[in-house]
Amino acid sequence: MPYLVAAAQQRDIQAVRAENPALWRQVRRFNLPVQLALAAGDVCAAQAADPSRLALISLTPCQSGSPDLFHWTHRLVASAHAGRIGTFRVNPTHTLHAVDNLALSALAIMHGLRDYGLGLGGAAGQAWNGLDVVLERLSGGHDAEVLLMAGDQQRSEGGDGLGLALLFAAEPRPYPPLNRPARLLAVERRRLDRPATPRPHAADGLAAFLATLEHHQGQHLAYTVPPEHGDGVDQVTVMMETL
Amino acid sequence: MTPNAHRVVITGVGAISALGATPEALWEGLLAARSGVRRLPRFVDEGLSVTTGGEVEAVPHDRPDRDHLIAGHAMEQALAAAAWQPEEVGFVWATGLDTFQVCAEGLVLRSAGSCFNTLAAPFGRPRRMIATACASSTQAIGEAFRQIRDGRAEACLAGGSSVMLTPFYLLGFAGLQAIATDQEGDDPTAACRPFDRRRRGFALGDGAGALVLETLESAQRRGAPVLAEVLAFGVSQDAFDLNRPPEDGAGAEHCMRRALADGGLTPADIDAVNAHGTGTFVGDPAEAAALRRLFGDAWKRTPVSSAKGAIGHAMAAAGALEAIVAVQTCRTGLVPPTVNLRDPDEDCALDHVIGEPRQTDARSVMSISFGMGGQNAAVVFRRWID
Repeated sequence: MPYLVAAAQQRDIQAVRAENPALWRQVRRFNLPVQLALAAGDVCAAQAADPSRLALISLTPCQSGSPDLFHWTHRLVASAHAGRIGTFRVNPTHTLHAVDNLALSALAIMHGLRDYGLGLGGAAGQAWNGLDVVLERLSGGHDAEVLLMAGDQQRSEGGDGLGLALLFAAEPRPYPPLNRPARLLAVERRRLDRPATPRPHAADGLAAFLATLEHHQGQHLAYTVPPEHGDGVDQVTVMMETL
Repeated sequence: MTPNAHRVVITGVGAISALGATPEALWEGLLAARSGVRRLPRFVDEGLSVTTGGEVEAVPHDRPDRDHLIAGHAMEQALAAAAWQPEEVGFVWATGLDTFQVCAEGLVLRSAGSCFNTLAAPFGRPRRMIATACASSTQAIGEAFRQIRDGRAEACLAGGSSVMLTPFYLLGFAGLQAIATDQEGDDPTAACRPFDRRRRGFALGDGAGALVLETLESAQRRGAPVLAEVLAFGVSQDAFDLNRPPEDGAGAEHCMRRALADGGLTPADIDAVNAHGTGTFVGDPAEAAALRRLFGDAWKRTPVSSAKGAIGHAMAAAGALEAIVAVQTCRTGLVPPTVNLRDPDEDCALDHVIGEPRQTDARSVMSISFGMGGQNAAVVFRRWID
C-alpha cells in the first residue's frame, strides 16, 4: 500500500536560480512549467531511500510552451501571410518547449533513473490517473518508491506557474507535515450526472489536495476533487488514511 | 505473469496513415514496398527546407479539426471491428504534441490535452493519456495490456494519433538535426532510409493507429475474432541525453529485457522484430547494437523490419501503427521489407528484410519504440491459434 512520504512545491523560479545554481544550470533552457516541476522533483528525489531506483510519473503541462515559442508562432503566421516562411529558423531549445516528455526525460537524466517512467499527458484530470498508477506500481510490488511530478503555468504565453512533486513509498514513513504516515487507499470515481467544464491543470489539483491533507485532523480523509480539477466526466474521490 | 492474470488478446484494429485509410492499406502498402512519403507542394511554395512527409490524404490538411478526424477514423474502425461501444471500454491513448496548424482561419493552437479530453469523453475507464514522445502509443498499448491482465479493466482501446506536418514541427525537428532535409535531385519517396548507409534522418508523418485489447474470456464469450495475443510489455529510460540515445543502446536493451522478463520469455522466443528504425544517424546504430546484444548470435537469423521508410515517423501514432504491422506478421508469418533500405550500414547490421516481404513462421513479434528524451517501450505479440 502506498504511503505519501514527501512533497514539494515550487512557484518562484527566481528563487531556484538564486538558491540552487547547480540545479538552475540544468533547467535554465526549459520552459517555466518544466523548470518548476524539476525544481520540486529534485527536492523529493533527494528524499528517496534509493533515488536511482525511483519509478517516475510525470504530468505534461496542460498549458505548455513558453513566451519564446508563443511569439515565434505568431511571427510565423505573420510571415506566412507575407510569403516569407522559408526564411524562418527555430531555436532547438524552443522546440523542446513543445515536447510532451521534457520534464520526465530531464529528471531521469538528472538522477540517473533508468527503470519505469511514465508520461501522463496534459489533459485535464490526468493527475488523478497519476495517483492510480502510484497505487498500481506500489501495491503490485513493481517498485519500492514512486515520484509523481507536475508543472504548469497559467498561460502558454507566460505568467505564474507551479511545480509540484509527491514521493510515495511502499513502506510506511511519517509524512513530515503530519508527523505520521499517510496512506493512499484508493482513487474512486463515479460518472457525473452532467459533464463539467474542467480547467486545464496539471499541478493545481494536486496542490489543493495536499493543502486539504495537511490540515486534516482525523484518521480518514475522503477528498472530493472539485469539478474544475477533474476531467469533466467523473467525480473523483481520493481516499487517504493517516496512522 | 501472476497466477491470476488474464490472458489479453487483440480483437480489432484501425489505422490511417500515408499508405491509406485502413489497416489493410497499411499492410498491403508495406508488402508492396511502397512509400507513402512524398513531396508536399504547399511546403515547397512556402520555401521550407523540408518539403517531404508521410501525410494522410484522406483528411484535408487545412481542416482545423484534423487531429480529431484522424484519431476518430482509426478509433471507429477498431471499435467496429471488435464490436464494442466506446462507453464499454477504457481508453489509453496518445495525442502527441500540441497542434500548431496554420489554416485559412489563421493559427490553430490546440493542446494535445484538450484533443485527448474531447476524444476520451465517451469512453469508460480508465481514460489515460500517455505522453512519452515517440514511444507514446507503444506504451499506451502496454499500459492497457497491464490494466486488462491485472483485472482492472475488461477491454481498452489503445493507440495514438498525431498531426505533425506543420511548418513548426518541420522547422523544429530540422533544427534538432533529426529530420531529412531536402537535397537537390533527391527522391522524395526515399527521404527516410532506416538503417541504410545513406540515411539522413526521418520524414515526419501523421496518422493514427488503434487496437482493441480485451481479456481472452471476454473475446470468447462475445465470439469476437482474435487477431493476436499480447504477451509482454516493458519500459525503460535512457537517462542519457534529451536528443540522442547512448551509442550502445543500453536503454533500449534494458527495455526489451524488461519486456521479456514481464512475459517469462527469453530472446529465443522472439521470431521477428518490428523496429523503431527512424533513419537517424545515431538512433539506428544504437538500436541495432541493442538488438545484437539482446539476441546474441541469433541476431543473424531474427528478421527485423521498420515501417518508417514507408509512412514516415508519425510520432505519437508510430508505435500503434507498427504494432498493427506486428500483429499482421504474427497472423501471416510475413515480415514486410524496410522500405528504402538498400545498402545497410555496417553499424546497423541486423537480419534486415530488404526489397520484398519474407515468408517466415514468425509467431512472436516484438514491437519497439524509443522516444526522444530516452523513454523506451516494447510490446510482444503472439500468433493466436484456437
